[in-house]
Amino acid sequence: MDISTSDMGLVARVENLTKSYGTERTRVDALRGITVGIRRGEFTAIMGPSGSGKSTLMHIMAGLDSPSGGRVWLGDTEIGGMDDTRLTLLRRRRVGFVFQSFNLVPTLDVAGNVELPFELDGRRPSSQELDWIAELESSLGLVDRLSHRPHELSGGQQQRVAIARALATRPELVFADEPTGNLDSRTGREVLALMQGATRQYGQSIAMVTHDPVAASFADRILFLADGLVVEDRGHMEAAEIATFMLTMEQAA
Amino acid sequence: MRLRFSSVLVAGISSAFGVGLLQVTGLLTAQIGADDVTGSSSTVGLMLAILAWVFILIAVYVGAVVTSNTFSTIVAGRAREIALLRLLGSTARHQRLAISREGLVAGIAGAVAGALVGSLLAFGLERVSVAVGWFQEVGYSYLQPSLLFPLIAIVLTTWLASWVGSRRVLSVTPLQAIGGAQELSREEAVQRRGRNVLSLVLVILGAALLVLGMLLGLLSPVAVLIGVVGGILSFTGLVLGADVVMPPALRLVGRWFGRSAPARLAAENALRHPQRSSRATIGLVIGVTLITMFGVATASFADIIREQQRLQPEVYQGTEQMLTVVTGVFSVLIGFSALIAAVGLVNNLSLSVLQRTRELGLLRALGFSVRQVRRMILTESAQLTVTAIVLGLVLGTIYGWAGAQSLFGAITKGFVLPGVPWLIVGVIVVAGAALTAIASFTPTRRATRVTPIVALAVE
Repeated sequence: MDISTSDMGLVARVENLTKSYGTERTRVDALRGITVGIRRGEFTAIMGPSGSGKSTLMHIMAGLDSPSGGRVWLGDTEIGGMDDTRLTLLRRRRVGFVFQSFNLVPTLDVAGNVELPFELDGRRPSSQELDWIAELESSLGLVDRLSHRPHELSGGQQQRVAIARALATRPELVFADEPTGNLDSRTGREVLALMQGATRQYGQSIAMVTHDPVAASFADRILFLADGLVVEDRGHMEAAEIATFMLTMEQAA
Repeated sequence: MRLRFSSVLVAGISSAFGVGLLQVTGLLTAQIGADDVTGSSSTVGLMLAILAWVFILIAVYVGAVVTSNTFSTIVAGRAREIALLRLLGSTARHQRLAISREGLVAGIAGAVAGALVGSLLAFGLERVSVAVGWFQEVGYSYLQPSLLFPLIAIVLTTWLASWVGSRRVLSVTPLQAIGGAQELSREEAVQRRGRNVLSLVLVILGAALLVLGMLLGLLSPVAVLIGVVGGILSFTGLVLGADVVMPPALRLVGRWFGRSAPARLAAENALRHPQRSSRATIGLVIGVTLITMFGVATASFADIIREQQRLQPEVYQGTEQMLTVVTGVFSVLIGFSALIAAVGLVNNLSLSVLQRTRELGLLRALGFSVRQVRRMILTESAQLTVTAIVLGLVLGTIYGWAGAQSLFGAITKGFVLPGVPWLIVGVIVVAGAALTAIASFTPTRRATRVTPIVALAVE
């Protein structure tokens, strides 16, 4: 009998994960047998140069893409072989997303966007959930903006809305894909501090894909990927250290 | 190249429609002139001549409006490509000239091809009718100088539509090619006051003329010409003011579909580009209005004829038969305008889905199931068709009744109730349901194929 993911203190893990694209002849191996876990209540950064497989790893862990081989768990649920409908429900209820280009629904106002995950489930948030949403909205400074549409907000404000939306359902794991990629560096740091705060205050598990050493320096743990493999698993690092390490990796390649 | 094909197609259909109508009208007039019974009845002859010109005016008008609508939609759909060319250093002026030149070429090609098709259709109709025995051989010439009228009108309107449509080119910024920026939906919604005032004036003036026509119709059937002018003015006002009229109508209909997440998003989506949705639906409104109007007028006419036949059997002998033929022919021909409008509606929905691939990906990532996506798009489609059809039925009933009243008021010496053509209403509703399904078919397939990863990808 396998030891369960949660017994290991993990919120998600993959075992011997492989992913390849294309046909036999034009095959590209994006992931070449990764075994790694994302720890519960931690802010984990996944780093690597482009083409290292970091986005593919995230897509598969989030139930957005299917693995070619190996096993994938979210919590104690094995999601590797799930069909689209079950994966859809899983994303709706157990996972949150923060994207590089904010990706709010332009036709809904801020409040509508934050409550969207509940609506997709065909229900109104319960009173406890509403309290939680109100707390998020106030701590993210969105209270004055609730009736604004996304196009009336700055990039930083839009990303705060996206964070509120991602946290609203108290998902087991929030995935963030280059969340500061479209922000200026000051706003970017504010957003990263908010995500760090979500982990510290609420114990929210977050996995963030990035290639920005400053962004990764906000994380509790950093996984370095290269050529479809995890090459380094470190704790918190300073931005300068990370940058140096990345350069070394690039030169080694 | 795709632009040119679609616009040639639309100009061609419009031209076939206009020319076909003219040819068939000419044929019918020749038939009526040759017919002993109806030819000797001056009232019936006059009415049919008036009716013919009413339809010619309508044909040119519908052709013009639908051409300009579709052309604008096509140009709107090419905004990104234009943005890219701007990014690469092309001037806005150059882009605009290029598009309007395409419009001119498309207009000429479409008008000529359509004229041939329209004439051939009329010729085929004549041959069949003669063979079956409905028509007699009258030696009708298909080279009527009046055909130049719709041809020139279509070339000019296609050209004009391309020029008007290309005005939007000026507002396309090169940055749009890079994407990532928020959609400019609200900017589109900015209302132009001058145009709205003009449309309001036209509606009021047109309505006043319609009423005048109905009153004078009590004295002479020629009053219907005043009514036609009133109808054209008020309807032009409505079409010009579509940006003001359609969004609230769409919103109202959107509420009928419930408050579930797919329905709510669908309702918002239909209003995201108010101008584009208005343009797409107003075409269908025009088609449905015309069909309904004609149906209501004919149903009212049939009631009156039956009544008159009872009183003066010798004068009205055979007219009902002729009426049935005329109704059938014109219903089919007017169905054409609805067909063109339907093409516009399908285009609109496809375009709208194409332009929000990323957003669909986002919804899928957040947990929107394939079924919910399908339901959302079907609801969007239904919202557009239901709005257009309801509005068209209401307007068509009003116009048809006004027309029947102005034309026949002198015969009945009083006000008639509008006859309701249940068969036509039924056909419209069924066709609307079919259109909803067809219009959503391709977009739904495309939308459900969007993988959530699209949302994460950076453009």
